[in-house]
Amino acid sequence: MTDFYVLKLLDKLRGGFSRIGVDYDVMRSILQVKLTMDGRRTPTVLAGMQKKEEKKEGSPLRVQWIYLLFGVMLIPLMMLTGNYMLQMSLVFGVVMFMITTTLISDFSSVMLDLRDKNILASKPVNRRTLNMAKSIHILIYLFSVTLTLTGPSLILCLFKQGVLFFLIYAVEIILMDCFILVITALLYLLIMKFFDGEKLKDIINYVQIILTIGITVGYQLVVRLFDIAELSLSFKPAWWQYLISPIWFAAPFEMLIGGARDTHFVVLSVLALVIPVLLIVAYIKLMPLFEKSLQKLSEQGNVGKSNARMVDWLSKVTCKNPVEGMFFRFSWSMMKNERDFKLKVYPAIGYSIVFPFIFIFGIFWDGNASSIKDSNTYLMIYFGATLLQTVVLMLRYSAGYKGSWIYKLIPLPNTAPIYRGMLKAAIVRLLLPLFAIEAIVYLWLFGLRIVPDLVVVLFAMLIYAVICFRSYPPVLPFSERYEAAKQKDYTANSFGLLFLLMGMAGIHYVFTLFMGGVYIYLLVLVVLNLWIWRITFPKNVSSTGRGSSFPG
Amino acid sequence: MGLADDPVIAISGLWMNYTDRMVLKGIDLKVYRGQIIGYIGPNGAGKSTTVKIMLGLVEGYNGKVEIFGRDIADGDVSYKKRIGYVPEVAELYDSLTAREYLTFVGELYGMKRSDVDYKAGKLMALLGLEKAYDSRIATFSKGMKQKVLLISSMLHDPDILFLDEPLSGLDANSVMVVKEIFASLAARGKTIFYSSHIMDVVEKISSRIVLIDGGDIVADGSFAELREKGREGSLEDIFNQLTGFDKYRDIAGEFVAVMQEVSSHD
Repeated sequence: MTDFYVLKLLDKLRGGFSRIGVDYDVMRSILQVKLTMDGRRTPTVLAGMQKKEEKKEGSPLRVQWIYLLFGVMLIPLMMLTGNYMLQMSLVFGVVMFMITTTLISDFSSVMLDLRDKNILASKPVNRRTLNMAKSIHILIYLFSVTLTLTGPSLILCLFKQGVLFFLIYAVEIILMDCFILVITALLYLLIMKFFDGEKLKDIINYVQIILTIGITVGYQLVVRLFDIAELSLSFKPAWWQYLISPIWFAAPFEMLIGGARDTHFVVLSVLALVIPVLLIVAYIKLMPLFEKSLQKLSEQGNVGKSNARMVDWLSKVTCKNPVEGMFFRFSWSMMKNERDFKLKVYPAIGYSIVFPFIFIFGIFWDGNASSIKDSNTYLMIYFGATLLQTVVLMLRYSAGYKGSWIYKLIPLPNTAPIYRGMLKAAIVRLLLPLFAIEAIVYLWLFGLRIVPDLVVVLFAMLIYAVICFRSYPPVLPFSERYEAAKQKDYTANSFGLLFLLMGMAGIHYVFTLFMGGVYIYLLVLVVLNLWIWRITFPKNVSSTGRGSSFPG
Repeated sequence: MGLADDPVIAISGLWMNYTDRMVLKGIDLKVYRGQIIGYIGPNGAGKSTTVKIMLGLVEGYNGKVEIFGRDIADGDVSYKKRIGYVPEVAELYDSLTAREYLTFVGELYGMKRSDVDYKAGKLMALLGLEKAYDSRIATFSKGMKQKVLLISSMLHDPDILFLDEPLSGLDANSVMVVKEIFASLAARGKTIFYSSHIMDVVEKISSRIVLIDGGDIVADGSFAELREKGREGSLEDIFNQLTGFDKYRDIAGEFVAVMQEVSSHD
């Protein structure tokens, strides 16, 4: 086992940990084991079936290129001088947005993890230590993400803005990370207090969606309140600024470097320091409660089989091939019951709800509501499909990945019906309801004239689903463990898919430019759909002999 | 350790319910040094819940649980230093090597890394796993994993061992070794508390058998005592009688009939 550098850094804080009742040596051992395991790959049952280059043990703390990219994009903001309030509120707004969404989508499953309990809690380890180890484990990743994100601007500001600026920035980044972690944990705690068992898991998933939407909209608000064009304007204090945390973090710059002595700035600066510290203290106090509440998650509730009939019916409608129908129902119930799947996918649902509306929201904000009815803005609905890439990627993972030996045992002539059933289940369960809701709101906004366009969008999304599926190496559904997801970087892939989606909206736009274009495009899409579904999932010759095309 | 006849485990009036059902309905149990307790009962009777409560893994129970004379609800976890636990086989970090896992567990028990490493290496070798010491546990067979779990529960020389199906997956030779280990530990005053579904083994190695059914203790005593109370036959028969289960022939017959049914259901 390697001794991680970050643990040596942590050793410096040993005294502090002991003071709050944490057994430091034990915590260090737990962290070391956790970090070692994160860097490893467990061979899956199906490893022999897939061609895969076995990677060497990787460091769990890899550089994530997407964050570095966003980090570089922060640099222009750092170059500005003069108005620290506007500049730094904006910087912290961007950074907090990125970090919080990462935490919600990537670390919720770690935060709400119960699997360790039997191994660790049966040993003489007190709760506080256990919980602290868990929090530090998340914080280490959170810091590595934050450092990648803020690294470029940190280095630059040291040269451009001076040492004092650099120091304030660095300290505030740490405070901000703790702030975000604690706020999220306390929110989960609050939910766990009021709900339990199966319901709690659902509620947490809904909160993820709401939180994602809330942060995205809130971020839009911050950006709009300080219009970039108005950066030169002077900052006007107002009461609502006490409620927006990026503004707290901006105030110390104005006070310590800009020399502002106004009470307003002093109060904001104090908030930036005191609130995170208070929250951490509260968190440490409430930790045992958090762990106790987590226990509720493991309680078995009755899942019920109320909609078994409906699934049965849906699988019959969408899948002609019985094997395909079988995997449709299998994927459906796995998506319904697998908690980790929901933890990872539901934030993406949040984005898919909010993206199609965020631009329209902007237009309303600018007071051009009347112009919207005749515009082409409805093409924004394409962004509703962004959820597909996450779903298709996540369908391969499962906490019960070891159950996948079943694929090898059952006599299946080929895998095409498995994938086809899986993809259809994902579309029917997640994409279609979402699309239906968005379509209704769009119809209300844009009027009935967009009905043909919406049909076109639907068919385009079905093609997009297949392309998403094809862009990742095929892995049988629910046959890899989640931890493996950390070791593969599909960032480039998801960027490509996002651009593709925009391209599809672009093509759609071109066809709206001439009379009847939409109908021609619709015809093209229907044919393309038949073709792409057929070549991606070749017909299963040996089973029933009946072909199946997707009845969109 | 106190007087020899103080109970090491004293459970009184233990009730436990999950959201929808009662799991334990007033368990009273005293366990003394040197006893090998076979804790048996049908699936879902509340066996592992009892054990998990004693280990502090499950909370929210009613009643009193004292281990080494101290109430475990007092928030002090140090009693766990003198306890070893073998959970079901799936519960270990299998992406670690045996060396890493065992030294880690030892450290959790407050032992020095080099001491644990030395001890664990020797114990592994004794169970025939010296070559596997630096391999990932994920590559192990079920029996090998079970041996690692057994070693991890005894590294720190505990006074009480809680074992959940400790012999599962072991070959006949290893079973003999492990049974002998249990016997000699008990002779040294250690307490072994284990649950199993294999009645032959329970019958042979337990000095005391506790049978629970529906959250309640329905029989408690040595095998000889259980038989004296008018129960005939093997432990399996006694088990069947006490849990009121006498229809196994009917059920088996019906099961096979359903298996062979021609699908007329569609």
